[in-house]
Amino acid sequence: MRPLRGKPDPASAAPHTPAATEASLLARAQAGDIGAFEQLSGRYADRLFMLLLRLLGDRAEAEDVAQEVMLRAWQGITRFQSRSSYFTWLYRIAVNEANRALGKRARRPADVSIGADELQLPAPPAADPARQAENAELRRALGRALAELPPPLRTAIVLRDVEGLSTQESAEIAGVSQAAFKSRLHQARLRVRAAVGDEALVTSGG
Amino acid sequence: MPGFLADHRWSQQHLSHYVEGDLAPRARHRLDRHARDCVDCERGVRAMRTLVYAVHGGLAGISAPATIFDRVRAAGPGGSGG
Repeated sequence: MRPLRGKPDPASAAPHTPAATEASLLARAQAGDIGAFEQLSGRYADRLFMLLLRLLGDRAEAEDVAQEVMLRAWQGITRFQSRSSYFTWLYRIAVNEANRALGKRARRPADVSIGADELQLPAPPAADPARQAENAELRRALGRALAELPPPLRTAIVLRDVEGLSTQESAEIAGVSQAAFKSRLHQARLRVRAAVGDEALVTSGG
Repeated sequence: MPGFLADHRWSQQHLSHYVEGDLAPRARHRLDRHARDCVDCERGVRAMRTLVYAVHGGLAGISAPATIFDRVRAAGPGGSGG
């Protein structure tokens, strides 16, 4: 998996044209080169898809929205002016599209499974089955708690804590001020903590 | 005792700020001092740290679907608006 803290390493994800810089790919994409656009955006495709899975909790919907995100990015690429990084811009489109998809849902938030089994805790020692069971249970509890958060709070905790992005970048992607973002993040953590319970967290945390 | 309860309520609401490093030194000292005497808040700090640690980095190894650029390809070069 690519680095989660800070921006991804662009050099790590262009296997076919290692010499192609993000700037040159962007220039070509803005000139209408679909191949360059795919190379550029493909560098972030896995992370973007994982973000959508976390926000939507539904693989089929995440696949549909991921296609839409790429289409929107392609349609808007000539308007991208590098005021933010391409990654941030793409993620912001993804968050907007995820929110649009969530808004269309007639289902209640509780029906949205965020994929509790996919929120992986660091693997406990294999020789400790009791700890493994505790971590698995904590993982499920955290997944349920995240799924029940309102989308703005879920987005905050996913960007900052799950994805490990900086507060500044997360706020930019979420489209709010850093102060507003932090307020959402703190609210989200308090709600998740209340839902999971200190006992489960402290026991699993050692 | 009223001071303890006020500190307790305040600390419980600021555990996330604490682990995020968002508290000013004086506020951080207030929570540190209270947590030394309060089992719930000391445990709350550990619980919040575990929460932040536990949710980080899930879904490793998931790949984007091969179809992710299908709509871009369908739109073609004219679809970029440029």
